[in-house]
Amino acid sequence: MRPFSYFIPASLQEALAIFQREGEGGRPIAGGTDLVVQLKEGGHKFPYPRYLVSVRRLPELRRLEWVEGEGLRLGAAVTMAEIEASPIVRERYLALAEGARVVGSRQTANMATVGGNLCNAAPSADTAPPLLVLGAKARILGPRGERLLPLEEFFLGPGRTVLEHGEVLVEVLLPPPLPRSASAYRRHTPRQCMDIAVVGVAAFLALDEAGEKIAEARIALGAVAPTPIRAHRAEALLVGRPASPEVLGEAALMAREEASPISDVRGSAQFRRYLVGVMTEAVLEEALSRARGR
Amino acid sequence: MAEVGDVRKAFRHVGKPVPRVDAPAKVTGRTIYGDDLKLPRMLHVKLVHAPVAHARIKGIDASKALAVPGVEAVITAQDLPPHRYDPDNRTRVLLARDEVLFYGQPVAAVLARDPYTSAYARDLVEVQYEELPPVLDPLEALRPDAPLARGSVQALEEGEVGGHITVEGAEARKEEGPRNVASTITFKRGDVEQGFKEAAAVVEGTWRTPMAHQSYIEPHVIVADYDSTGRLSIWSSTQAPFHVRNEVAKTLGLPETRVRVISTEVGGGFGGKIYLYEALVGALAMTLQRPVKLTMSRKEDMLAATPAPNCIVQLKMGMKADGTLSALKARVIFDTGAFPGAPLLPGCLLIGGFYKCPNLEIEGLEVFTNKVSVGALRAPGAHNVAFALESALDMLARRLELDPMEVRLKNAVEKGDPLPSGQPYPAIGLKECLEAVAKSQLWQRRHEIRAHPNRGVGLAVGGWLGGLQPASATVTLNADGTVNALVGAADITGTNTAFAQIVAEVLNLPLEMVRVTTGDTDSAPYAGMSAGSKVTFTVGRAVKLAAEDAKEQILRIASQRLEAPPEELELVDGVVRVRGREDKQLTFRELGRWSTAFGGRYPPIVGRGAVAPRLQAPSFSAQAVEVEVDPNTGQVQVLSWVVAQDVGFAINPMAVEGQMQGGSTQGLGLALFEEMAYDEQGRLLNPNLLDYRLPTTADVPPIETIIVEVPSEDGPYGARIVGEPSIVPGPAAVANAVADAIGARVFQAPLTPEKILHALGKIKD
Repeated sequence: MRPFSYFIPASLQEALAIFQREGEGGRPIAGGTDLVVQLKEGGHKFPYPRYLVSVRRLPELRRLEWVEGEGLRLGAAVTMAEIEASPIVRERYLALAEGARVVGSRQTANMATVGGNLCNAAPSADTAPPLLVLGAKARILGPRGERLLPLEEFFLGPGRTVLEHGEVLVEVLLPPPLPRSASAYRRHTPRQCMDIAVVGVAAFLALDEAGEKIAEARIALGAVAPTPIRAHRAEALLVGRPASPEVLGEAALMAREEASPISDVRGSAQFRRYLVGVMTEAVLEEALSRARGR
Repeated sequence: MAEVGDVRKAFRHVGKPVPRVDAPAKVTGRTIYGDDLKLPRMLHVKLVHAPVAHARIKGIDASKALAVPGVEAVITAQDLPPHRYDPDNRTRVLLARDEVLFYGQPVAAVLARDPYTSAYARDLVEVQYEELPPVLDPLEALRPDAPLARGSVQALEEGEVGGHITVEGAEARKEEGPRNVASTITFKRGDVEQGFKEAAAVVEGTWRTPMAHQSYIEPHVIVADYDSTGRLSIWSSTQAPFHVRNEVAKTLGLPETRVRVISTEVGGGFGGKIYLYEALVGALAMTLQRPVKLTMSRKEDMLAATPAPNCIVQLKMGMKADGTLSALKARVIFDTGAFPGAPLLPGCLLIGGFYKCPNLEIEGLEVFTNKVSVGALRAPGAHNVAFALESALDMLARRLELDPMEVRLKNAVEKGDPLPSGQPYPAIGLKECLEAVAKSQLWQRRHEIRAHPNRGVGLAVGGWLGGLQPASATVTLNADGTVNALVGAADITGTNTAFAQIVAEVLNLPLEMVRVTTGDTDSAPYAGMSAGSKVTFTVGRAVKLAAEDAKEQILRIASQRLEAPPEELELVDGVVRVRGREDKQLTFRELGRWSTAFGGRYPPIVGRGAVAPRLQAPSFSAQAVEVEVDPNTGQVQVLSWVVAQDVGFAINPMAVEGQMQGGSTQGLGLALFEEMAYDEQGRLLNPNLLDYRLPTTADVPPIETIIVEVPSEDGPYGARIVGEPSIVPGPAAVANAVADAIGARVFQAPLTPEKILHALGKIKD
């Protein structure tokens, strides 16, 4: 580790002002569970920050509230442990609770935040596929004011997002769930826990009024592309069709085609592609059975 | 076992479960480890680790690093004080001189006032490398046209291997024969070809186990201080303080007695903390005339310590229709990395050492590659060969429709059976371990388990012969009537607790009245290294003798004072009394005072014990494992695990069970997760505990332990070695369970989901 300045602003406005005043070379830090490791281990190629601005305790980033008619406002500094424990998340956005639950150890979950998980932009981020299928939007504040983006547009590549200098991810907005809908997230890891997703799959399904056909479908894949991605063609195969095992199987095969995995120390490309198939099928089945239970 | 159980009743302390005496300090964070040490004016060193596997060093420019405020020095091989350099000995190549032989090899040392500055400046040292082709795969390395992994290999071949070849054949062998060979071993018995002819079934295969890291919690820590009188003190979390003293002295050209080694609390070693950078840190302290501390990070430790080798076993085995082994032919190849040190001998002895086999032929090769050189990992070499042997045995049993338990019981070695070297076994308990597992609930339920889809049960055995080394101890009586034992062995497994039990047993004291201290190499009575599972077995005997000697001295004085012959005296809780005469007694406290105070009339009580054991007490373990395999994802979940081990006599059953569970857990890790992965350039891809996976509590099932006690002929109270055997069967037991569950066999550890899907034909290359 090298020396850097560390700021603890009392408000979001102050945080934004610090970025303006100090200029380039600063980064927000929340739980630090990714960033501190990078500071220690990043080596020479890591763009070492000159200063860090703690956003961990800013009230605007700490919200976890249900707004009737709007949906869920999920502050960027809400921790994995808080998300997992939230009754509203468990009740209405189960995939997100399932993603938050598997991040790191208990100690990590108590520090790691959803904003950090997204801004670190790892293709394997466990909250990204759930948030993608839940229709999340990212609210960003910066020197040029506010912008609201669909989460799909947030990621640019491994470790890269649309955030520009001085911009802070404030919160994530989730629309209220549709009737007869449910979500699910699963990941594959060699170990039972304390691991990084080799493949992560989230699905969201909404059934029609008769409960027979699929009214809306979303599938998101983690760790099989430069960013977490939606499997749009697989989704299209589902909408308007009967919720049968054959249809789910077809979509799973399509999702395999939409993945563009690489080979690395965690798994080969062909293994990952294979897993996308079997896991998408399993996750769709899980989401369907949950939707039917509603 | 019943007999031993009765013996146990006769004892007050030994044979009883006792929590480790050092546990409270450890779990409350109060134990002082090497990294807690701070000396005045101490510098912190970080090593520059080569980012290439094989290269010539063309130049080192340290100017940018030296410009960083707080940096005191950058030392390269040229700047070191004169020492005994030996290109063929890893520990005598303190820093790479001209050639880098493995990825992560230290090429320079950066010393600064704090570790952050030295780590930062370390990255600014510019080393120019001329890259050379790296030799990475041991089979490729053996090809006659392979490049050489290291320049000095030729000299080694002539010196060590060439010595076994007749003069006429030597030239031809050198040109056509395998390259990059560090050493070879051959064992032969009977006629293998005849044995295969007699076999009703023959199986053949190639089994691979990858490089694995010991993954102790505490990375290597060394502090060195060279004082104004020319004495070098070294604090090290080593398992082998006396060995470190001798090696440092030899390497740095100092008399042994000018080097003092203090073994700090070992935060896990498993064979990986014997001796590595102590001479380097000592040399730096001598050069700079200041104390120097090296605390390795996890990454540095994974790059540049001494992990366990990658091993390839080509094995062919034949079995008669009745289940008797008829022939075993094995080629065992250990990838030793860039320096010699692979466990070739134990690997080759043990592959032919678990079962009786009239005909065998074992060829062992230790091969150089451009990887970090290897060291010991709990029963070094044993799990690698057991993976092949125990898998092949199951395949033969299946082929002949025989029960895997029966086949093992039929062939298991017993007292008097020869090792491949011809040396006969002393009393051993392999059969008893198998019988214990056969009676376990898990084994009894196996048919029920197999009725579940994708569940299976696997069985495997493993053993370790154990080390021998002279050992000594003293037991002294303090002025307050308590007793101290002083030993020179680092306590890595709870041995000091066992010693306290032994002393308390001999002197019939409450355990709290005994304190055991590990001294440094200046103060402690000599003990060999804490390795080879032998500390309780060897040092324990010395402690027992020392306690008995102290008892005799106590009785001699008490006999005078109480005017009764020693035979009529008894020791009870720190009181010496005449049997049946409560009024005629004296206390240890009185004795302590009389033998220490001003004007005291008796010499201090100092018992001594010293032994040079010559007879090994090998220990075997049999293990059964239940797994469930997800046929869609290839994921293996271990559901239950039974381990039986023959420990001779469990002096502390609680510690023994902990060893058996710990070893089984490591076996599970080697079976399912652990692997140091290298890319085509020889760079380690996973120098961290995220991608080098150890099992978590969620991956490890409850482990049932069954202590088997076939007394050793020579150990204290019949105890034999304990620490190492329980790691050995794991990979084979899991592979056998997976084969039982899904009908497909994996020949390469760890058994990752990907390999299982390959074996099932669900994914293809």
